[in-house]
Amino acid sequence: MSNIISIHSFRGGTGKSNTTANIAAISAAEGLRIGVVDTDIQSPGIHILFGLDADKIDYALNDFLWGRCDIYKAAYDVGLSFGKNPAGKIFLIPSSIKAGDIARVLQYGYDVNLLREGFKKLISDLKLDILMVDTHPGLNEETLLSIAISDILVVILRPDQQDYQGTGVTLEVSRHLEVPQMYLVVNKVPSCLHPDDLKKKVSETYNCEVAGVIPHSDTMMVLASEGIFVLRYPDHPVTLAYNEITKKLIT
Amino acid sequence: MKENNKGDPFFIFISRICIGALIYGLLNVISNRLLLPTAPFITLRPQVSLPMFVGIAYGPLSGFLTGLTGNLFGDIVCGYGPIKFWHWHIANGLMGLIPGLVRYLNIQKVESIRDFGIVEVAVVIASGVAVGLAVIADLLLVHEMNLSESLNAWILPAFLTDAVNGFIIVPVLLLVFRKLVVTVETRTIMMVTLLLVLAVLSTAMSITWSVWDDLTSRESMVRAFYFAGIVSLFVLVLGLLVSIILSKRVTDPVLKLTEAAGSVEKGEYDLRELDGLSKRPDEFGYLSRVIQKMADEIRGREQRLKKQVQELRIEIDKVSQAKEVAQIVETDYFKSLRDKVKKFRKQ
Repeated sequence: MSNIISIHSFRGGTGKSNTTANIAAISAAEGLRIGVVDTDIQSPGIHILFGLDADKIDYALNDFLWGRCDIYKAAYDVGLSFGKNPAGKIFLIPSSIKAGDIARVLQYGYDVNLLREGFKKLISDLKLDILMVDTHPGLNEETLLSIAISDILVVILRPDQQDYQGTGVTLEVSRHLEVPQMYLVVNKVPSCLHPDDLKKKVSETYNCEVAGVIPHSDTMMVLASEGIFVLRYPDHPVTLAYNEITKKLIT
Repeated sequence: MKENNKGDPFFIFISRICIGALIYGLLNVISNRLLLPTAPFITLRPQVSLPMFVGIAYGPLSGFLTGLTGNLFGDIVCGYGPIKFWHWHIANGLMGLIPGLVRYLNIQKVESIRDFGIVEVAVVIASGVAVGLAVIADLLLVHEMNLSESLNAWILPAFLTDAVNGFIIVPVLLLVFRKLVVTVETRTIMMVTLLLVLAVLSTAMSITWSVWDDLTSRESMVRAFYFAGIVSLFVLVLGLLVSIILSKRVTDPVLKLTEAAGSVEKGEYDLRELDGLSKRPDEFGYLSRVIQKMADEIRGREQRLKKQVQELRIEIDKVSQAKEVAQIVETDYFKSLRDKVKKFRKQ
């Protein structure tokens, strides 16, 4: 079975969706077939980064979870082309943005085995090399499911006192779920902090490898959610950081 | 094969010379109508700046060939034949070659006051040397005139008009063909030179013109005309040298301050190189002191920040963390999830 990589953070706004989308783009540019699942059912959003029009979403992850459709029906080729490697593709499995759909999943939940079987089927149907899971922040039941079925867990934090405690809790809980590989990514790092020092400090504090340190970037803020950063700015320091992280995750 | 020629340096070289020579020759033919008083063979030739420009912009050989072939072509068209004024072909070649030698003073493009001054002086020297050598050749080999006739007929009119024309027009050509980069320095010296040229030419012309009718003989007319020319050229060159010194007093501080700003951008906050400038009592001195002070403050702030980073603490309350973890992992939901996970991890 190929790898399921979950991208998680304890608090919101740490850059999960952007990190997921950019790692997916870098991997696809290497010629890999990548699936991206938006399990942030409460506040879906990654489809915007990939430019997938909400009106065009006929089936979403929600439909699969309620047995309305096969999971591959909810997979959309986001149409990014990677000149060097035509084999590279990104399929997005969005969450429904309809309020009723959202409420229903929150109310009834879903089963871990269903999600896992769905992911397995998706991987074999679409011949995926990697399935990436963009999660909802915090540690609610759905997020625990996503963590539980991942082969690699990436926890993103900012160098901010507010993130430190929750990140510790997340890692501890994930250890209870025996996730095979766990990495930390420090995002939005101001230029006054030395990346190597910070990396060392964070990995020592959490006893967990730091896959990369992403500098704070105004350019990134300006691009907001209007595209995939690494494709627009291939030589930017933020892109270099994403490359380093991707290399670590996908080898 | 042919289309490759577009990028071939030799092809570009040859076509540049051909175009330059063609234009130069044609302008020579046209300007033959504009004879200077008393100098039947020398014409008021603004186009002499063309080989000078080619020399500076594209190298001495290009300049030489443009001047030489251009003059040759012009003479043939005018009916003088290719041989008669052979030494003037070479003189015109030198007119392009000598300014081209500025390349060896590391001037590819005119970017500073220094470059500008060197180019202008080279233009004047080129006019002098070229005309001088042609006249010597004339005296020794062609024997058409004696020295005093030559002086009146060729040396002064040709030298003066070529030098003044080159002095004024070469910078314009360099600017148009982007071989003169507009910087604070070049802008300043161009502005000063423009004023200088306007002042000198208008004065010289108006004086010559005002005494023209009172001149009784042809000789005195000639003398007045040449005197005005010599004074103009002298004032232009001297004025330029003085302008260079004065302009640099204004532009040097700007360059220094710009460099200092560049250092700050790179994160180098030690601006000791501004110490001299800071002592100036004028606006530049004030600006320099302000920049130094700001850089010092930034350096202090950055050092304080670095110190804070070294002491960066990631504070985690282990007790409350353990409590939060327990609240999650001890729920029935979590326990059942963990059991299921254990099962499928074993698969």
